[in-house]
Amino acid sequence: MSRLLAPLVSLVFALLLSVSPWFVAKRSFGGRGVLLAPFGVVNPSGARGPLPQLDWLGVAFWGWVALAAAAALVFLLFEGERRARWLYVLGAVGLLAFGLEALLFYRQVDAVNAAALAEGARRPPLKRHSLSLGLYLQLFYALYLLISARTSQPPGRGLLIRYRGVVVPAVSLILAMVAGGVLVWILRPIPGVREGLSTYGYLVGKLDLVTYTFQLLFGPVLSLPGLFQSAVIATPLIFTGLSVAFGFKAGLFNIGAPGQLVMGAVFAMFAGLYLPGPKLLVLPAAIAAAALGGAVWGAIPGWLKARFGAHEVINTIMMNYIAVSVMLLLLSKNEWSFFGRVVHFPFKAPGYEPKSLLIHESARIPMFLQMLGFKGAGPGELSLALPLALLGLLLVYYLGRRIELGRRVLAALGAGVLGYLVGGLLPGIPAHVSADLASVRLNGAFVLALFAVAFYNFYMWRTKFGYELRAVGLAPKAAEYAGVRITSKLVLTMAIAGALAGLAATHYVLGGGIDEYRFKQSIPYTVGFDGIAVALMGQNTPIGVTLAAFLFGVLLTGGLQLNIQLGISRELVTVLESLIVLFIAAGGFLPRYFVEPLLATEALKRLAPPAASEEVR
Amino acid sequence: MEIFSTAFLVALVAGALRQTTPLLFTALGGMFNERSGVVNIALEGIINFGALAAAVTVQLVEAPYLAHDPNARIWWIPWLGVLAAIVVGVLVAWIHAVVSIRYRADQIVSGTAVNMLSFGLPSILLLFLYGNTSDSKDVVHRILPMDAYLPFLRDFFSTPLGRILDQSPLVYLAFLLVPLTYYLLFKTPWGLRLRSVGENPEAADSLGINVFWMRYQGVLLSGVLAGLAGAYLSISELNHFTRLMAAGRGFIALAALIFGQWHPLGILGATLLFGFAEAFRILIEGTGILPSPLIQAFPFVLTMLVLAGFIGRARPPAAIGKPYEK
Repeated sequence: MSRLLAPLVSLVFALLLSVSPWFVAKRSFGGRGVLLAPFGVVNPSGARGPLPQLDWLGVAFWGWVALAAAAALVFLLFEGERRARWLYVLGAVGLLAFGLEALLFYRQVDAVNAAALAEGARRPPLKRHSLSLGLYLQLFYALYLLISARTSQPPGRGLLIRYRGVVVPAVSLILAMVAGGVLVWILRPIPGVREGLSTYGYLVGKLDLVTYTFQLLFGPVLSLPGLFQSAVIATPLIFTGLSVAFGFKAGLFNIGAPGQLVMGAVFAMFAGLYLPGPKLLVLPAAIAAAALGGAVWGAIPGWLKARFGAHEVINTIMMNYIAVSVMLLLLSKNEWSFFGRVVHFPFKAPGYEPKSLLIHESARIPMFLQMLGFKGAGPGELSLALPLALLGLLLVYYLGRRIELGRRVLAALGAGVLGYLVGGLLPGIPAHVSADLASVRLNGAFVLALFAVAFYNFYMWRTKFGYELRAVGLAPKAAEYAGVRITSKLVLTMAIAGALAGLAATHYVLGGGIDEYRFKQSIPYTVGFDGIAVALMGQNTPIGVTLAAFLFGVLLTGGLQLNIQLGISRELVTVLESLIVLFIAAGGFLPRYFVEPLLATEALKRLAPPAASEEVR
Repeated sequence: MEIFSTAFLVALVAGALRQTTPLLFTALGGMFNERSGVVNIALEGIINFGALAAAVTVQLVEAPYLAHDPNARIWWIPWLGVLAAIVVGVLVAWIHAVVSIRYRADQIVSGTAVNMLSFGLPSILLLFLYGNTSDSKDVVHRILPMDAYLPFLRDFFSTPLGRILDQSPLVYLAFLLVPLTYYLLFKTPWGLRLRSVGENPEAADSLGINVFWMRYQGVLLSGVLAGLAGAYLSISELNHFTRLMAAGRGFIALAALIFGQWHPLGILGATLLFGFAEAFRILIEGTGILPSPLIQAFPFVLTMLVLAGFIGRARPPAAIGKPYEK
């Protein structure tokens, strides 16, 4: 299989490389760019100005073709250790060439800019320049060679199977990106294109369009405000992702996260408007109310399943529609008539806008920068309280493996409090907050989300309840036989899953995650559906869910630029998400031992020599 | 409007028939895939895609004719839209079939993915075609109620009974499908094979029935019927596509399927119940008896009640939801 597949990959690589833009010399707003490809400069929009003279591109291209041909030969001719050794060499050469080309490009661009500035230009002519598809392809191809080298022998191949929890989502992500790229290729014209583009120019231009689409989507990782904004969007995704993952672990499919989120928002709004008292009491109570709202909404389908055997999928979907109706009832009008009797809703903000009143100061979650000790944009001091608290908590928890679990958790919490107090007394580190960063609405709900991840990890893998829950998910009959009460387990699981989804509402209502500290009808409850993609992408593990939520947070943040610059709907991210779900469901179209644990064990046994066979994780 | 007046009853029954039609199409489609042992929660998404395909096809095809003559009416254009909806419905169902039959995916996850796709992809296409993310352009060529096709019966169609019967041909088609699917499923060898792979695929396989192929047929047929439901919504009931047009009908149809015990006659009864409830809801919504959001939640509450009350007594196909391993 890999004997024919790998030369094919090399061929496709070489062909793509010839029509890829390697570098973008400059890019103006709206995606118009001057593209440097191996067989010439492509300038679809006819932009003018000096360009770096990359006359070595042709030579470099033929060098890569030679490398790909050599790799194909290695795959065809050699086996085992010899193949691995040659592939390591070729991969290393590829990585080196990639680095060299990137360096050369940046230096030549700098030279052009310096020359122009010396001649009296007011701004450097090549301001937004970047690497492009050709270079990315080279990097990925070199990595592909190295991975092939590692996996061309049994122990390496076993590694792939053992890390199938990473391999399947990664392959699915790549496939979804390819499909999304094809969609963009078909639907959008080359930015700023004029008449009379040659076939070669057309291909390069289209590939650049696709590349730029993904550069915009992944763009937020390159700046601190972008990362913060991604975290803002990731916060509710972590909650809903955990909610769906919680259900999956027990063999339940919770499509009800949107409705649970809405009910969490309803409860949080009431708590935030009507609970009196100091912040120390009201804020935790409001957060608990959000969890309670979601828990109630989750427990109902759980109970219906336990009591009547009604499938949770249809019922949770119905509960979504009902929750939206409840929201419309509460927020869309100030007065309703029930059979002729007029009821006035005092919590609804007067006027036509569908939103509640602002919640009290005492129920608001502070902004993340405030929690770090900053007061706003400008110079400030980074307080050590929060970092030290986290450090103490994690250190004690992970170093105290010998201590009995209950005491270990208590000790960790104690260390956290101690760290908070000590950090608060210590002088802070001076730092400057830019206006961009200060305008990002990252709030304490993010920290809450991280705690939820810790709770998920702890509950699922460190407690008896979690053990029972996973047992029910893997083999309900066996679990019941072993003494687990399935019915109450179902209700409890759905309630906790609902509570996690309900907590996502704290980000919007109590944390002001979008703009204001109130419950608005525009609350983006569809993040509950995104939670499905997050849970699948994260393979229901705590770290995985967190990373997947961040990935989608980045994509959704970048999606804004997509609409502004290229006129592509932000829904492209939703399409990518649904494709990822589809591909992961199909196991990434990989062999079946990547999907099923039992087959994976067998495959590993076949690969490893009998004496050294290892336990499958 | 006075309740229990003739006008109210006529409006109620006529509305109920209209509301029943997409549910009936979809639930009958769902019957084929569930009888073959595959859960198809993607019906909701297939309705959306079918509606999109019908509206867009009709709009694109009629545009040149209308540019030539604004009063042009060409009889085959709406039917071309229906055909497009069927084709797209089959294509989308095929995605679900490949992933859940060939790759043995979790059928509910795969169906959910298709549904999510139907929430996002139409926006991208609409933005490309019409410059907005939520609606397609209005079409002129709709599938009209019967009186447009039978002008010599115009007098009859103005009587109360006539107003009830003055429906789109697709409504008639939906109700005609009930005896037709009954015959297909219970009186033909093909129907026996389809049911057998849903009840006991191993036994069916041992008798030489191709389990995979029968399941593909079941799922693709559901794509045909759910696509028809979509076409009915976008070019017969209305004259354009709006985002999320199915509005939960795919899921309600699934509930009707369970309530109707996977049988055409039962499904007819169940969808009529939902259809009447929906028509009643629409009629009393404007009267201000109850807040409209509460009334809007009514069909969903009804679905849950029906499921909870009935599920114990309904017996699904034995092998439903389980991927077949050869």
